[in-house]
Amino acid sequence: MYRRWLWPSFAFPGVLWLVLLFVVPFYAVLGVAFGTVDPILFQPVPIWNPLNWNVGWLTEVINRLAPGGIWFDVGIRTIVYVALSLGLSLLIGYPVAYYTARHAGRWKGVILVLIILPLWISYMMRMLAWVNLLQADGYVNRFLIFTHVLSQPRDWLGGSASTVIFALVYGYIPFLILPLFASLDRIDRSHLEAARDLGASRWSAFRTVTLPLSKTGILGGAVLITLPMFGDYYTPNIVSSSPTTSMIGNQIDLYFHGGPQPTIGAALTIVLAAFLTILMLYYMWSIHRAQREVGAVGAL
Amino acid sequence: MARGEIELSKLTKQFAEVTAVDGINLQIPGGEFFSLLGPSGCGKTTTLRMIAGFEQPTSGQILLDGTDVAYTPPHRRNVNTVFQNYALFPHLNVYDNIAFGLRRAKRPKGEIRERVGKALELVQLAGYEKRKASQLSGGQQQRVALARALILNPAVLLLDEPLGALDAKLRKALQIELKSLQQEVGITFLYVTHDQEEALTMSDRLAVMNGGHIEQVGAPQDVYEDPETLFVADFLGVSNLMEARVVSAGTEACRVAVDGYELETRGTNQDVIGAAKIVIRPERVELEEHGAPPGPNRVPGMVERLVYVGSAVQVIVRAATGETLQALVQNKGTGLGFEQGTPVQLHLPPDALRVLPSGIGDEPSLKGEEGQDAAEEAEEETAAAT
Amino acid sequence: MTAVAEPRATPRSSAFVRIRGWLRNPWGKPRFLVLITWAYILWSIVPVLIAVQFSFNATRSRTVWDSFSTRWYWGDPVDSVWHDPTLRHALVQSFKLAGADVLIAVPLGVLLALGLARWHGRGSGVSNFIMLFPLVTPEIVMGVSLLLVFTQLFTFIHTGTFAQILGHVTFSISFVVVIVRARLFSIGRQYEEAAADLGASPFVALTRVLLPLLTPAIVASAAVVFAISADDFVISQWLSKGGPTDTVPIQIYAATRAAPLPSVNAIATIMMVSTLLIVTAGFLTWRLFTRGERRTGTAAEDFGGAFNIS
Repeated sequence: MYRRWLWPSFAFPGVLWLVLLFVVPFYAVLGVAFGTVDPILFQPVPIWNPLNWNVGWLTEVINRLAPGGIWFDVGIRTIVYVALSLGLSLLIGYPVAYYTARHAGRWKGVILVLIILPLWISYMMRMLAWVNLLQADGYVNRFLIFTHVLSQPRDWLGGSASTVIFALVYGYIPFLILPLFASLDRIDRSHLEAARDLGASRWSAFRTVTLPLSKTGILGGAVLITLPMFGDYYTPNIVSSSPTTSMIGNQIDLYFHGGPQPTIGAALTIVLAAFLTILMLYYMWSIHRAQREVGAVGAL
Repeated sequence: MARGEIELSKLTKQFAEVTAVDGINLQIPGGEFFSLLGPSGCGKTTTLRMIAGFEQPTSGQILLDGTDVAYTPPHRRNVNTVFQNYALFPHLNVYDNIAFGLRRAKRPKGEIRERVGKALELVQLAGYEKRKASQLSGGQQQRVALARALILNPAVLLLDEPLGALDAKLRKALQIELKSLQQEVGITFLYVTHDQEEALTMSDRLAVMNGGHIEQVGAPQDVYEDPETLFVADFLGVSNLMEARVVSAGTEACRVAVDGYELETRGTNQDVIGAAKIVIRPERVELEEHGAPPGPNRVPGMVERLVYVGSAVQVIVRAATGETLQALVQNKGTGLGFEQGTPVQLHLPPDALRVLPSGIGDEPSLKGEEGQDAAEEAEEETAAAT
Repeated sequence: MTAVAEPRATPRSSAFVRIRGWLRNPWGKPRFLVLITWAYILWSIVPVLIAVQFSFNATRSRTVWDSFSTRWYWGDPVDSVWHDPTLRHALVQSFKLAGADVLIAVPLGVLLALGLARWHGRGSGVSNFIMLFPLVTPEIVMGVSLLLVFTQLFTFIHTGTFAQILGHVTFSISFVVVIVRARLFSIGRQYEEAAADLGASPFVALTRVLLPLLTPAIVASAAVVFAISADDFVISQWLSKGGPTDTVPIQIYAATRAAPLPSVNAIATIMMVSTLLIVTAGFLTWRLFTRGERRTGTAAEDFGGAFNIS
């Protein structure tokens, strides 16, 4: 019914924009990372021709990340922080999502709004809230002293790994709960009833029916929060004043804003992106699939 | 000049590797209620969509009152459609839905108001102007869809399984309404359905489609009583197929042998020799008492099962030839006279028996099934995607 | 079902046993889930409420409450949001970027959504892939790449407001596409076909039939774009040239690392309330427009579709 050129021409402006401002910039990172540095001005000199690329800086970065390198600790720490944050988020988030999806009854709408709410509250605001609470004279210390857990105020913001992990969990968990909820909500009640009918206990029905069926939600949500967490630098900076809790993102930030060595920063960015590629590709595929699903239902 | 005459000439539609419509030829004179009948994936919907203009044929012609419209965009064809899910515009109320086409044609406001009013009366929905589609029942939505299409005085009205979403009783009522509406309005209705009862009830003529081509065209009575292929025989009603061997064939009468019994059947124009199949409708099978005087076309049998369906009783009989036949006995209130497990004599009147060549459309649903499913999927994919 | 088991006949059951029994109620809702959920909700929201509360603190403390005052909003002649130019500019800048983002990204995204949903020729797969990429890319990667492209390649664009707008639009377009395309898929092509059938040209079918039906998705995506733009920190910071091009999140970030006043709570509250109002307006509009259509799941789920990937 429509002319053949109509849809591609609709897509053209958006695609052009993304090519110019997303694909090309990415190539700029490659150009700088594989470029050289002007020895006098300390400015990066990008090399645009892949045939002439200089892998020197990339090698340098990889060496620094390797065991024995100066960034090895940072790399390990980043992975540990992300893993722990993810684990804690799942531990807290799954029951919440499960309850909301399956047992909330008439509260479901209200709880859903309350769970979605943090997504619309600025991340910085939420971090600010905890920075205030974790001050030496903030409510957390005052409460803990009041309940005799602590005898004197503790420095939460001075460089504590647990604070950073706590902040990461607090910041990212809403993004995990939503996809978890969506996939749990989708599970047909009759599957569970069939399992109970066939003799499964409540826990066993959960383990053999609900858990496997929510796997895509778990995976999807995990990828959804892990990707940005790996690049996070602001969270450690906000809740920790010490470089002992710095993550990979901090290193990148440092080399761009701390002291001008963008080439190293670019190379490190490339390594980070490469490391995350599999996760990114999986995420893209699952979005694509979800859109197709809506389409299949909609076409009926 | 005949208004609303459709002619399809070698019409073909191919989706990737699947041929949904395979070079069909069809002629529908104006003013007829014509049905395209067939199982899912047989190509009937694709054919309809090509006539409407939503699909472009791969090759062939679609002649509407003599003009080939195969490559004319849908908004320029004098053809209107009632969609399966009605497709009433959700953001418009009933009045605006029905007035939509007239507004596109830039008719003056007064004329629009008058015509919409008449259309609403025609479908008995006067007073519903301000309602939105979501506030209407299924049957009401369907009538709005009808009004919306008919108001434009198309030469042909296309209906794509419009009664599919309704419950049985409403469906029956609307079938009658649609039929009388067509007679009142007088234009060609091209009706697509998979429900053979519906097609038989409503059509002046119908075409049975299978796997992308037309198996038979004719008036309901002819197609039902005189099926030309196995598929048609099997698709419309119960067919009581029996394997047979042709003894002699002719246009007046034939003789076949079924497991030692020789039966006389109707004549046929088709080429039947050797192995063949014979068909008889359940309501033509006559049941006689066991021990009744034997005669031609009589086969003994055993009553296997009785199924009471309200207005009649289905008597499932295992004939001495080995096959299981179904006889349909009208419920006259006097009791059946046959019980499960009792012997009975089947009388198969010669003019009720038809011979069909074995091999035409052999196992049609199986052979074409993959193709049908693939065609159906391809249709849905392009539907979702385009 | 077998008969419910009789409760254990312990006439003087201890509090512990009673609580445990309440928790373990086999036929009712699992109580510990209720506890966890509400505890989570409180943990999630109460800190923010406290921060909002302290924005109305009469003293300079963000940790010790004194009394209610609007000093930090407009009262204090030096440090209130109204009077402190740094804070005021940050607020203005945030709204500027968010507004520009909506005005550019939504039309581009709607067109892109339409194009990608219906285009099946060569290049559509690649285009779809390119569209999905910003959604999965960590922000720091995007920040680095944008900064480098503006300093090394497109050097005619300097860091500052214009660059920030370009960056915001770049990551926003994909959200619009995902939201609008989902709505497109659920609409299907039946209405446009019906319109064409009734004599509407393709242009009319698009503008008089499809576009009105897409409106809830367009409005929703505008609200989402506003929210993510207002919330954005990384891209804004990397493309900022300091001073008035700093946005509210950047100010908050700087403040948390220095010794901030409750005025930063105030500015954060203002931004948060604005975003919530806009998101709620978008949500309500979505609800209003899709009122008649049968939808599965709650409207809240449809609206959270941007983050729904499974």
